[in-house]
Amino acid sequence: MKTLVFIPALNEEASIAGVIADVRAHLPQADLLVVDDGSTDQTTRNARSLGVPVALLPFNQGVGAAHQTGFLYALRGGYEICGQLDGDGQHPAAELARLVSEVEKGRADIVVGSRFHDPGVDGSEFRSTFSRRIGQRVFRRMVNASTRQSFTDTTSGMRALNRRAMTLFSERYSPEFAEVESLQRAIRQGLKIEELQVQMLPRTGGESFLTPMRSLYYIFKTMIVLLVGHLRPKNPETH
Amino acid sequence: MSHLITADLAVRFTPQARIIAAILAVAFMAMILELIRQHKLQERYSVIWFIAGIGMLVGAAFPGILELLARVMGVRDVGIALFSIVLLVLLALALSFSVIISRQAEQITRLAQEDAIQRARVDAEADALRRDDEIGSNGDAAEGALEPEEERLEG
Repeated sequence: MKTLVFIPALNEEASIAGVIADVRAHLPQADLLVVDDGSTDQTTRNARSLGVPVALLPFNQGVGAAHQTGFLYALRGGYEICGQLDGDGQHPAAELARLVSEVEKGRADIVVGSRFHDPGVDGSEFRSTFSRRIGQRVFRRMVNASTRQSFTDTTSGMRALNRRAMTLFSERYSPEFAEVESLQRAIRQGLKIEELQVQMLPRTGGESFLTPMRSLYYIFKTMIVLLVGHLRPKNPETH
Repeated sequence: MSHLITADLAVRFTPQARIIAAILAVAFMAMILELIRQHKLQERYSVIWFIAGIGMLVGAAFPGILELLARVMGVRDVGIALFSIVLLVLLALALSFSVIISRQAEQITRLAQEDAIQRARVDAEADALRRDDEIGSNGDAAEGALEPEEERLEG
């Protein structure tokens, strides 16, 4: 099936080439796209020098806007499946290939790579800040209560989607941190989402944009969004 | 009771105060007109300000309306009633600006995305052309065009 892998990236000049090589090695059939969310470094130049098309947003718009750019590009290009992984090198392409093949088999509309899906995997190598851990716990509780499904990694940015999911997200998608609410919305719109246990790696370059203050803002904002999302009407007939 | 309120009104809204309020209201609306004329304010966003200006003018011409409003609100002090109304109107205006800003932010995001997608398409087409050239020239391609293939083998 015609597959696009897109890599949302913000100031990832150090790691982007490695991520591209990794995707080409493990998903040789897939076309590649880098979505540069207004980087101020050489991210775009590095990707273009490797022959990868870059959707360069003229100014920083937020992670969600970058994801949506990828979905729009995939839809317009006629791709049946799109996979996404972060440009910081934390997501091995071999794992994304597993997610893509699950979607190819029609197991779900969206397959999410989770660090904590299998019991016994403690994921403790991901040293998170206190606020981040709290946030992840709160999101998990809220999403699970709202969707009646048990997600273990609601903030994962490693996913594979089919056209139905891309269409939904291209219409409306939070411009900021979007992963959490997109799960809730997709489930409430009748899409099928599955998690798959994956390995993730420590960052190979760049810097996380989530400072403690931003994490708090993120948690607060996402709680509002999830609450509002829960009050919106469900739409199961689109199934 | 009612003559008390009337007396109170007379104290609060002297003819002088009413004239000043009317002049301010007219000046305010003239300023809005001027902003529109200079294209610094769009007509659709000016309506709400004209309504505010007319409200000011009406309040200055007929202070009895304020008295009536205060009574409906259950507020004894007409001055407090006036301030409450003004505060609420400003709050509503500020909220409507947030709504307008949100809509424009969404539009800007979509514009940025469309632009980014167009550029990526140009990239992709250029890349496809380069690959065709490589095949066409029987491996005698320029060094720059070969680069991506080499990278791929390394990966």
